[in-house]
Amino acid sequence: MSAANQLAALIANMFATGLLDDQFQQLQMLQDPSAPNFVSEVVTLFCHDGERIIGELAKLLDKPTVDFDRVDAFVHQLKGSSASVGALKVKNTCIQFREFCQQKSKDGCLKTLETVRINFYELRGKFQTMLQLERQVNGFPPNN
Amino acid sequence: MAGAAAERKVIRVLLVEDEEIHRVLARALLRSAVGGVELDEAGTGAEAVRRVRDGGAGAYDLIITDGKMPVMDGHEIRAMGVTTPIVGLSSDTLPPDVDTFIKAGADDFTPKPLSKEKLVRILAKFNLA
Repeated sequence: MSAANQLAALIANMFATGLLDDQFQQLQMLQDPSAPNFVSEVVTLFCHDGERIIGELAKLLDKPTVDFDRVDAFVHQLKGSSASVGALKVKNTCIQFREFCQQKSKDGCLKTLETVRINFYELRGKFQTMLQLERQVNGFPPNN
Repeated sequence: MAGAAAERKVIRVLLVEDEEIHRVLARALLRSAVGGVELDEAGTGAEAVRRVRDGGAGAYDLIITDGKMPVMDGHEIRAMGVTTPIVGLSSDTLPPDVDTFIKAGADDFTPKPLSKEKLVRILAKFNLA
């Protein structure tokens, strides 16, 4: 299968499995010759931000006394960036996460953090594959 | 304000947002949705106020601002004497969240993520499209 076909199939699968929503299509439509790397730029920012935020959340929830306001602030940030990139599953998990923050439930937050982690890294892996395939479609060798 | 923009044929928008991913999206949307838009950016409410004051009367036609930011929230910009139309932009969209912006003096609110449709609506509302 050509790289282009693999890329199309991957993205279709990401929509079909609920990883992505229409917002990602909005990003694709904003990519043009004047901004040829726009999707890559936004996806890369999301991946870096997401990894950083998940790390901060783990540290905050590891403390004997949890500052739920700070946890909520980080989850709010992740929810916002998820929404902007079209990361539907991660965004929806953040919505649940914030409810546990409001309830000041450490157990609920820890369980949801694990779900966020799983959903985020699943999406990140597919984004990385997507970007590699895009490079091949554009005639560049894959990054190692 | 809208008359001045029409004469300039350039719309000057100040985006107040501390997160790069949202700034990147807004830049692309403004480039794509409307011609003749100049976008300035501020990372905090305090920086936004400074830019407005430094720019003089009519420096911007519109301010689009996030809510919670370091140093100064977007909700506090109007209280600092800024008279430019302000639109709140946040992923917190429950009625109390929207009320917080409106009671703080915002002229409108739109939920994140910003989109072409939302931007066109906002610009039309303030006669900037």
